[in-house]
Amino acid sequence: MARRVLFNLFAWSIVLAVAFPLFWMIVTSVKPQFELFRRPPTFLPDTVTFEHYRTLLARTNFMIYFRNSVILSTVTTFVVVFLATLGAYSLVRFRYRGRESLAFLVLFTYLLPSVVLIIPLYLMLVSLGLSNTILSLVIAYTTFALPYALWLLRSFMAGVPEDLESAALVDGASRLGAFRDVILPQLLPGIISTALFTFILSWNEYLYALVLVNSDGARPLTTGVMSMLISAFNIEWSLLMAASVMMSVPLIVAFAFLQSYLTRGFGAGGVKG
Amino acid sequence: MADVEFRKVRKAWGKVVGVADLDLSIRAGEFVSLLGPSGCGKTTTLRMLAGLEFPTSGEIRIGGRTVNDLAPGQRDIAMVFQSYALYPHMTVEENIAYPLKKRGVPRGERGPMVARVAEMLQLGPLLGRKPRELSGGQQQRVALGRALVRDPKVFLLDEPLSNLDAKLRGHMRAELVELHRRLGRTMVYVTHDQLEAMTMSDRIAILEGGVLQQFAPPQEVYREPANRFVAGFIGTPSMNLIDGQLAQTGGRWRFEAPGLALELPALPPGTPGGEACLGLRPEHIAFGSGPLEARVALVEETGHETIVVVELPGGLRLTGRTAPGMALRPGEALRIAPDAAQAHLFAAGPSGRRLNAPAAGPGRAAASVSVPASAAHAGEPS
Repeated sequence: MARRVLFNLFAWSIVLAVAFPLFWMIVTSVKPQFELFRRPPTFLPDTVTFEHYRTLLARTNFMIYFRNSVILSTVTTFVVVFLATLGAYSLVRFRYRGRESLAFLVLFTYLLPSVVLIIPLYLMLVSLGLSNTILSLVIAYTTFALPYALWLLRSFMAGVPEDLESAALVDGASRLGAFRDVILPQLLPGIISTALFTFILSWNEYLYALVLVNSDGARPLTTGVMSMLISAFNIEWSLLMAASVMMSVPLIVAFAFLQSYLTRGFGAGGVKG
Repeated sequence: MADVEFRKVRKAWGKVVGVADLDLSIRAGEFVSLLGPSGCGKTTTLRMLAGLEFPTSGEIRIGGRTVNDLAPGQRDIAMVFQSYALYPHMTVEENIAYPLKKRGVPRGERGPMVARVAEMLQLGPLLGRKPRELSGGQQQRVALGRALVRDPKVFLLDEPLSNLDAKLRGHMRAELVELHRRLGRTMVYVTHDQLEAMTMSDRIAILEGGVLQQFAPPQEVYREPANRFVAGFIGTPSMNLIDGQLAQTGGRWRFEAPGLALELPALPPGTPGGEACLGLRPEHIAFGSGPLEARVALVEETGHETIVVVELPGGLRLTGRTAPGMALRPGEALRIAPDAAQAHLFAAGPSGRRLNAPAAGPGRAAASVSVPASAAHAGEPS
């Protein structure tokens, strides 16, 4: 009994430690300016206000950054999932010389720290004439999201029985037809996990965005909010918290919708033995 | 309906040979089993016929047409997989209709065709279900239905019954034979279960190490195994294979092994003497009387018969079968009589070829058994 209580206390303390900053973020974002630095602090705001949100949406570049982030993350996710799905298919289903070495080479690039790659990548993008564009970030994010996505999907793909594809081929499907009709539906949970992973990675990325993009037209939320609200002299806490809340919303929505997909469909029993 | 022909078909992965120069002609409408232990090349052979593997060299023909370069879907075949390979995200109905859809059968015509197959295989009430909601036997029938819904030239079946329990397996065996009789289609059936091959096939192709050992009707494979491998592989309990010496003295052939000597019926001219292997089916050893002394080593009652393993004085063990009720106990001494007329003779080595002609029938030919020279009746003609 005592062990149970202890365990529960332990678990709840971890939950609180993780959840408190989120709670504080939301609370701070709806507190009026004068209540922010009151001592002792109020846990629940005396008056709730949405003025920070209004300010952010109406009088700053927040919506531009938001749009940039949505475009950036969505395009990156599509590119990465598309390439990784076909790449994983090739790595699992076809036999060719250097297949395993190729897979490990890809993983190796993932293991390199991004600070090592960032300057060469920047120079390459400049010489391609892509610096300061959203596209440059899409390319940069693809380079480090793709290896992991490829490995993730490779293991999912290996779990799809080869007999299913063979059966579809015998039943008259082309290779691409078999891929679309039979493999893709089986791979859906894997594709969704990979897509979610890539989306979060691109949405939260900071370092590359800081180095590769420095105009407001192409800045994503992470660096945009930072440069807008945090200066050497002042931090706009209330606006920062409101921005953080709005930055988190798309991820929470995405998770809420896809969570059932992530758990559904695993281990569907079409093949025996 | 079409014939199937393998001409010098070879499949190798680097130095590993899966199938070696296979020549096989399957007649139109025939039910042929590819039988052998795992790794013998039977599934590779079937997959090459299906177009899922490509032969390294040689030619495969279906209905007189070379199919080497055709994709599986263009070969006009249907296949049932060991794993059933049902599409998990489709209902039973969609699974069965899939081959029709892929071949451009209009939507309106698919329904009646699926219904016909569903009725034949009693799948009607299951049409709306997903594969994971079905039992193993039901899944197997759906896999069969997906193959039967079209009218392909050749049916390929890759161990379709191996995942079923024994009772259902026996039932489905009979169903498949009946189906083949009714449809009259060419069927190629891969199995490692000799009972399935023996009971269902018109002819059996026995493979070992990628090499075709024998291709003949079941009874012939049993009565006249072409070589030592086939002899040992077909039959339960398996044939007694005894290594010994074959010698000809005064026009009579004699086989000797430790504790055993047999005088054999005439062998074809040119038969080499020396090391050889004698094969005796368990049913061709009579217990209770006879010229050989033996000691019971093991008794297995299966209900409808008794399997007896006896040991000869030289340490050689022979397996025999008798009617149930014969009270034998391990350690007991008894006399046995091998039927030399029914003996098979093979050249030495693991796949030594057959040396003697098959016995004419169950009757006894002019052959006799003698005890070894070292035993009591030494020197006496028997």
